[in-house]
Amino acid sequence: MSEKILIFGEVAEGKVATVTKEILTAGRELANQMGEPLSVLLIGENIEGAAKDAVSLGGDNVYVVNGPPIAKAHPDLYLAIVAEACKQLTPSIILFSHTDMGREIAPRLAARLKASVTMDCIKLSIEPNSGALLLSKPVYGGNAIAVWTSKPGTAQIATVRPRSAAPAESDPSRQGKIAPLTVSVDPSCVKGEVLETVVEEVQGIRLEDAKVVVAGGGGIGGVEGFTLLEGLAALLGGTVGVTRVPCDEGWKPLSMEIGQTGRIVSPNLYIAVGVSGAPQHMTGCSSSKLLVAINRDPDANIFREADLGVVGDYKKVLPSLIERCKSLKM
Amino acid sequence: MNMIVCVKQVPDPEVPPAKFRIDAKTKQVMPPEGIPPVINPFDERALELALRLKDAYGGKITVLTMGSAKSESVVKRGISMGADDGFVLSDPSFQDSDSFGTAHILAAAIQKIGNYDLILCGRQASDWDEGVVGSIIAENLSLPFIALALAIEAADKALKVKRVTTDGYQVFSVPVPAMVTVCWDVGRPRLPSGSGVIMAARKKIPVWSAADIGVDAGQVGKGAARKEAAELSRREWARKCEIIQAETPDEAGTKLAEKLREVGAF
Amino acid sequence: MERFDAIVVGGGPAGCASAYVMAKAGLNVLLFERGKFAGAKNMWGGAFFGPQLNELIPEFWKEAPVERFVTRHVLSFMAENGSTSLDFKSTRFCAAPYNGFILLRAKFDGWMAQKVEQAGAIVAAGMRVDDLLFQEGRVSGVKVGDEEFPSDIVILADGVNSLLAKKAGLRSDFLPEDMKQGVKEVIELPRETIEQRFNLVNDEGAAIEFVGTCTRGLPGGGFLYTNKNSLSLGLVIELGSLVKSKLKASDLLEEFKHHPDISRLIEGGRTVEYSAHLIPCSGLAMMPKLATGGALVTGDAAALLLGTGLILEGANFAIASGMAAAQTALEAKEKNDFSAGSLSRYEQLLKESFVLQDLNTFRGAPAFLKNRRIYELYPELAFEIFEAIFQSDGMPRKGTLQVVKEIIKRRTSMISIVSDLWKARKAI
Ligand SMILES: Cc1cc2nc3c(=O)[nH]c(=O)nc-3n(C[C@H](O)[C@H](O)[C@H](O)COP(=O)(O)OP(=O)(O)OC[C@H]3O[C@@H](n4cnc5c(N)ncnc54)[C@H](O)[C@@H]3O)c2cc1C
Ligand SMILES: Cc1cc2nc3c(=O)[nH]c(=O)nc-3n(C[C@H](O)[C@H](O)[C@H](O)COP(=O)(O)OP(=O)(O)OC[C@H]3O[C@@H](n4cnc5c(N)ncnc54)[C@H](O)[C@@H]3O)c2cc1C
Ligand SMILES: Nc1ncnc2c1ncn2[C@@H]1O[C@H](COP(=O)(O)O)[C@@H](O)[C@H]1O
Repeated sequence: MSEKILIFGEVAEGKVATVTKEILTAGRELANQMGEPLSVLLIGENIEGAAKDAVSLGGDNVYVVNGPPIAKAHPDLYLAIVAEACKQLTPSIILFSHTDMGREIAPRLAARLKASVTMDCIKLSIEPNSGALLLSKPVYGGNAIAVWTSKPGTAQIATVRPRSAAPAESDPSRQGKIAPLTVSVDPSCVKGEVLETVVEEVQGIRLEDAKVVVAGGGGIGGVEGFTLLEGLAALLGGTVGVTRVPCDEGWKPLSMEIGQTGRIVSPNLYIAVGVSGAPQHMTGCSSSKLLVAINRDPDANIFREADLGVVGDYKKVLPSLIERCKSLKM
Repeated sequence: MNMIVCVKQVPDPEVPPAKFRIDAKTKQVMPPEGIPPVINPFDERALELALRLKDAYGGKITVLTMGSAKSESVVKRGISMGADDGFVLSDPSFQDSDSFGTAHILAAAIQKIGNYDLILCGRQASDWDEGVVGSIIAENLSLPFIALALAIEAADKALKVKRVTTDGYQVFSVPVPAMVTVCWDVGRPRLPSGSGVIMAARKKIPVWSAADIGVDAGQVGKGAARKEAAELSRREWARKCEIIQAETPDEAGTKLAEKLREVGAF
Repeated sequence: MERFDAIVVGGGPAGCASAYVMAKAGLNVLLFERGKFAGAKNMWGGAFFGPQLNELIPEFWKEAPVERFVTRHVLSFMAENGSTSLDFKSTRFCAAPYNGFILLRAKFDGWMAQKVEQAGAIVAAGMRVDDLLFQEGRVSGVKVGDEEFPSDIVILADGVNSLLAKKAGLRSDFLPEDMKQGVKEVIELPRETIEQRFNLVNDEGAAIEFVGTCTRGLPGGGFLYTNKNSLSLGLVIELGSLVKSKLKASDLLEEFKHHPDISRLIEGGRTVEYSAHLIPCSGLAMMPKLATGGALVTGDAAALLLGTGLILEGANFAIASGMAAAQTALEAKEKNDFSAGSLSRYEQLLKESFVLQDLNTFRGAPAFLKNRRIYELYPELAFEIFEAIFQSDGMPRKGTLQVVKEIIKRRTSMISIVSDLWKARKAI
């Protein structure tokens, strides 16, 4: 077996995860351009349904390994399974989502397979002349974009940033091959054990899922100021996020941070309030459809990044904004 | 607990975007004029976690950097914060190493230092934002590996490592010696003390060459790199900002609401 | 805790110069700088006169990060509708030992601090000195956070706001009337564009000073210096009158940028830096006590700065005073006497050097420069006179003297001009 492009698929509750649907879109495009089949590797228990979905979502060959579900697995075990599967399938391009599992396994797998690795890609394309795979990713805290290419003959591993492609649409009429894959790994490959896995419940809408995000920065000046932002977010059916400053100051928890070290969001509407527009923040929200900035400094960098801007003190701008939104909604 | 922390010298990531320059021809970032490079902020947090472990359990912290002779400043930064020792790895053959070359060099030095319980790396280097060197070192040295640690406790021949995940956290038990990368959420790193700065200033930092750590030039540098940059460009500002014109902030808020309604934002 | 021979507070020109001299002479010196690195937050216009630094570090221009050598000085009187300029160029200025240098602080201070380290001192950047230690009524070291650092002598080089000079009992707050507010932007432009626009070749540089409408008639002026790949453009305005007029220096700078004389020089440029800083400008009249037991104060912290109106000479005075302070410390070390009496030698050294001599020569300048006619009237006068002289309106021409007389009569009196000129002769 020799596969050209292999996607490491994540399965959540028996279904193909959204992030995997996104790389199915990106992978499908590559496969079409290269004229190669697209293969998908799925690991889990009783995931035949997900395997079928993977076909209707664009996979040509879906390999199913009977193994523990991602949520419970030790990364060492997953790594060993994937490495073993890759030895059998010998793919030359391996794509992961840039998730907890992907960002952990991809580089270690690259070390084992002597492949190249590029993390957090936002675009995959084929150089028309050479046929080489080009991987674009933000670097220098989002200040720049680098396009990487690998030495000919090197297998290439990449993780793809969530939300950088639209999830693949299901086409139930698609045909593909589903095959079980038997891999044997030595359980002693797991060093140590998982003692505890805690998923923290999110109150309200998850930032990543929100259609509207109202983001507050250092300019909010304290916890109290966020009441206005929360009011606006509630009114627009969205949620509140923050820059690093409110986290560092202890006004808001790190789980609300947006940016390079926080969450990557891409809502329909992003309203940045008292946010200077540092690249490390903008890299986490710059793909928002409509970006609005409210900042009292006309020279703030955020105004180079936004579609709509108000120069002014948010304490004076937000009340009338909220008021008018309310009346317009009625 | 004996720890080795890998730290990288990077251009100051907090330079205002207006001062960020690249040379598209050489595909390199040009160092901002007059602003000296700094310790990778992610590594500063790894150091902070190491220092907390040293505070709790005692032991020794060695700081390791691969770079030019000038990278000494980041080792000194580590010492001024409370680390005990440090080395600079520098050799012409190291230049333009990729993550695998870098990991190879660091792993060789780690083996030379020896006698460690824990190696710590930052979550990623703020220049190329890869976040892979730590895990590759772990693979090279066959060490247990945990990514994105938030807190570590020692528990008899093993470590209890709490690490962050997208939606929560996990706790692992790992045998030592181990390699752990450290997440941002560890919190603000401590500032150096005055006496720490004085000590660091006086400390001679040895520079190890390829020969000193037994690295074969064929394994590192540009020649051994598995990938290269085909292009490097500033992020484009695709948007053109329309500033809402108004006499008062009050009016601006109202107008913004109307504009948002007009474009169907709500 | 280890005792240092000398602790220097501040890594500007004054602090670096004094630490350098003392370290070179073998003292155990520690310099504290609160910025992330020396020069991190410092600013100035950027025209620097070199003899003192040349004495300290011979032929410093061969290694210091010099942007350009000043070969062209322009003095421009800015009126509402135009300007009158004096343009001086010397080819002699573009050869060693050079007359003037254009420098950017971040790079220059960084380089100075590096020299200090090379000389054997410890530079502790990112550390703010919060307080002084006292023993038997004498300064005996400094405090950084909770840490104490004892030393034989403390050299205060912490700039215009020097909290520490106040704590040492050497001075009180400087008054707004004695200060000027400086604001500046660094505007990037391609090297070739700069050379073309300012008529420069190679490393030649231009230093342009402006007087008149750029400060809306408030005492002060504007400056424009050419760096390698950028321009330093700024205003310096007397703080007292600025406060009274309720104007904001940043707004005036914005206005200045839009003056037709300026806008065409900065066209296409990109602002990469904005900064503001105070300048102590009243010279001897505001000079504090310079020495006390265990401490000396140097540079801006001691108001050792010369502003004759044409140009600000601060950095060279700072360096010279730093060197004199170091010399004093070395002599005190020799005698092992750091009492106020022993350290009074500092003032004597300054009197022997150009520092206090120049400040004495120009002691009338600060008061003279408060004359609003310089900024409001004379630029307009000059403009009107030259406009009348050059204007060709088909009418029979009048003699030049006649023109001048008529315009002066309309706008002011001959007497006040003569009196201003007389004062100027004495003051500058
Ligand atoms: C390695 C690294 C990683 C980082 N990762 C992230 C990240 O993931 N996410 C992130 O956000 N940051 C990150 N940062 C930090 C980032 O560089 C910036 O420092 C940060 O984003 C600044 O936050 P801010 O714009 O909210 O605050 P500030 O820089 O403090 O800006 C506040 C803004 O509010 C405006 N303002 C003040 N008062 C008012 C008012 N009353 N009304 C309206 N406007 C007002 C001001 O004009 C200013 O523009 C990272 C930095 C580094 C070095
Ligand atoms: C707008 C403007 C234009 C100017 N133009 C010119 C010019 O063209 N030519 C010229 O020669 N001069 C010029 N000057 C004046 C010149 O900049 C100053 O006279 C000179 O910098 C004084 O040097 P200094 O070392 O005394 O003080 P500073 O340069 O102010 O240095 C003081 C240092 O002390 C540090 N510091 C302060 N407090 C502490 C503390 N508690 N602990 C530790 N560190 C501390 C500061 O961070 C700073 O680095 C100009 C000034 C301004 C504002
Ligand atoms: N040149 C280097 N010297 C020392 N440590 C490094 C170097 N490069 C990377 N590292 C370590 O590896 C981590 C991840 O780096 P990277 O994979 O380059 O993003 C960093 O946070 C450092 O801890």
